[in-house]
Amino acid sequence: MTETRTETREETQKETRQTPVRRPRGPRRKYALLDLAAPVLAVLFAMAVASVALLVIGKNPLAVYGTMFAFSFGRLDSVAAILYKATPLIFSGLAVAVGFRAKLFNIGVEGQYLIGAFCASWVGFAVKGLPAAVHLPLVVLAGALGGALWALVPIWLKVKRGVHEVISTIMLNHTAFLLLHYLIADVFMDKTQVIVGGAGSPRVRMPLMEPTALMPKLHGLAALIGVDLPSHSSLNWMLVFGILLAAGLWYLVWRTPFGVELRAVGHNPDAAEAAGINPSAVYFKTFLMSGAIAGLVGLSDLIGHFGYLDIDFPRGYGFTGIAVALVARNNSLGIILAALLFGFLSRGGLGIQVLEKVPMETYVILQGLIILTIVVFWEVIRRYVRARQKREEASADAQC
Amino acid sequence: MLSAEMLASAIRLAVPVIITAVGAIYSERSGVINIGLEGMMIAGCFTGAAVAFYAGPYAGILAAVAAGAFFALIHAVASVHFRVDQIVSGVAINILAYGVVRFSSLSIFKMATTTPHVDCLPKVTIPGLAAVPWLEPLVSKVSPLIFLAFLLIPFTAWVMNRTVFGLRLRSVGEHPLAAETLGVNVYLMKYCGVLISGALAGLSGAYLSIEHTQMYVEGMTQGLGFIALAAMIFGNWMPLGAMWAGLLFGFAQALSLRVVTEAVPYQFIKMVPYILTIVVLAGFVRRSRAPAAVGVPYERGEAA
Repeated sequence: MTETRTETREETQKETRQTPVRRPRGPRRKYALLDLAAPVLAVLFAMAVASVALLVIGKNPLAVYGTMFAFSFGRLDSVAAILYKATPLIFSGLAVAVGFRAKLFNIGVEGQYLIGAFCASWVGFAVKGLPAAVHLPLVVLAGALGGALWALVPIWLKVKRGVHEVISTIMLNHTAFLLLHYLIADVFMDKTQVIVGGAGSPRVRMPLMEPTALMPKLHGLAALIGVDLPSHSSLNWMLVFGILLAAGLWYLVWRTPFGVELRAVGHNPDAAEAAGINPSAVYFKTFLMSGAIAGLVGLSDLIGHFGYLDIDFPRGYGFTGIAVALVARNNSLGIILAALLFGFLSRGGLGIQVLEKVPMETYVILQGLIILTIVVFWEVIRRYVRARQKREEASADAQC
Repeated sequence: MLSAEMLASAIRLAVPVIITAVGAIYSERSGVINIGLEGMMIAGCFTGAAVAFYAGPYAGILAAVAAGAFFALIHAVASVHFRVDQIVSGVAINILAYGVVRFSSLSIFKMATTTPHVDCLPKVTIPGLAAVPWLEPLVSKVSPLIFLAFLLIPFTAWVMNRTVFGLRLRSVGEHPLAAETLGVNVYLMKYCGVLISGALAGLSGAYLSIEHTQMYVEGMTQGLGFIALAAMIFGNWMPLGAMWAGLLFGFAQALSLRVVTEAVPYQFIKMVPYILTIVVLAGFVRRSRAPAAVGVPYERGEAA
């Protein structure tokens, strides 16, 4: 068995030595440049299409986009806001991307992070008297566990019952929100709230989390590199955690045996099975991992900003995460950059609402358009590259 | 509990699921998964209510159908012509439709989440049957779209099984290469399937906003597009099956609305359709058979 294998390897080596290299490296690098250009072109194209909506409501698109840039990059606290808005998107992008690598479509990040945020919030206020060095990691762990728990149902249904994860996760997103609503409003509602001035009604929220459960802000780190972050910025260590996690996942996918299995199953589950990999086990582990990462999505807002979970907790990060993962093509570094891009678009959306009286939903429209254009662009590039390669091969054959 | 009122309520709640599920059959039978149905319904809801506000319910319904078909056209171009992942494209349509609707709602009515009240179509009463006391809630003052929904079932069954168009549509979903070899225009069939599904999703949205609530309210579709997809799977890609599945959902919802008590918090009652969808899929998905080539992009001349 081993002998034949070495033989075939020698044969292939001989073959490559004899025949001219079929796919030369140079043009490949040229096509890689195309891959980098695609996201930029897709964003520009999406902005051009969204201009139609702006023109319809009688706004000058150039002025609107100009305001978007000026508002977002004009001041330091605005840049900090972009980084803060990018933080949950790094996590949601990574959660979706890990699933995509194994051809699993986790649309359930939305529900998973709500459940994760609930678990983290519960550990944050119910557990008392621990030092921050123990309490904070526990809170983060609770978030990850909550997300993984909510991901357990759809992946079990997929592997055991053949239910496509897209429909089950969407149903569980709705269920998660209703469950959260019940838990916050009916079970854990903070009844001890003091209403300032005796007017208005108490917030529908859970009790405040312990100070030991909160994530420190990034001001100290920023000061080290000579940046004086404004005191009202909520930028916190979750950003650094997200970047480290991106690096860790890159290592996991490209440098570990499990990464090989994951990519093999994503590429062709039947071939992977023939090679001795159990696709069901890989699906299970990958989806739970995706859910655990999803459980961290809400933590930057929860333990870096609010300090409590309320009924109006930010929603939609899960769907933006799909856009982030697609634009980045599941690449870790790309996800950080794409999260920054969507952080900017979101911040800019706020800017045009305040300054130009343009609905900030322009941001949502752009998000949908970017997803569509990027996947179309990838496809067009794929076809172009394939056609070019065929032509090059044909000309190489003709020369022989 | 099983009164005629209850049954009438179940039917009213089932209609949007049934119309959308029948639409999904056209798309899936042509081999294209349409996850974007939810977004097309949202587009239909808002466009229907907005146009009905200015030009009356008939124009509203037509506009809703057109809006659904418009988003379906985007889905068709992306997934048939450019052969992108059909699920990714569908998800993008859902996000896009939601954004466009909120943007339009704010721009036109200065309200993000609702439109003003609109007139509905004149209600229909079947003269003879309405005199029977037990049948009265079922046949008096009924939205004409409900009758249309139930006419769609035999009509779709006839189209699928008895017409050349239906045969071609199905052949494209089962084995596109064979179909093309026999001279069927695969792309055209897929475009037809997706556009019909979008138009029907738009109609279903119009039913919700114009007929059922008489205004657009954000989030009124509540995942019905996905529930309709599940109903279609449960119904084994057949119109009659989709109808029964839709009625099951309508019945479960009507039932849950009537058991609101102190003992069960309302949030759990609102979960019923979602949990039911998951349970139904978990129990039945293995027994149903999807079109063989569903979800697989077809590339002309690839085999050559």
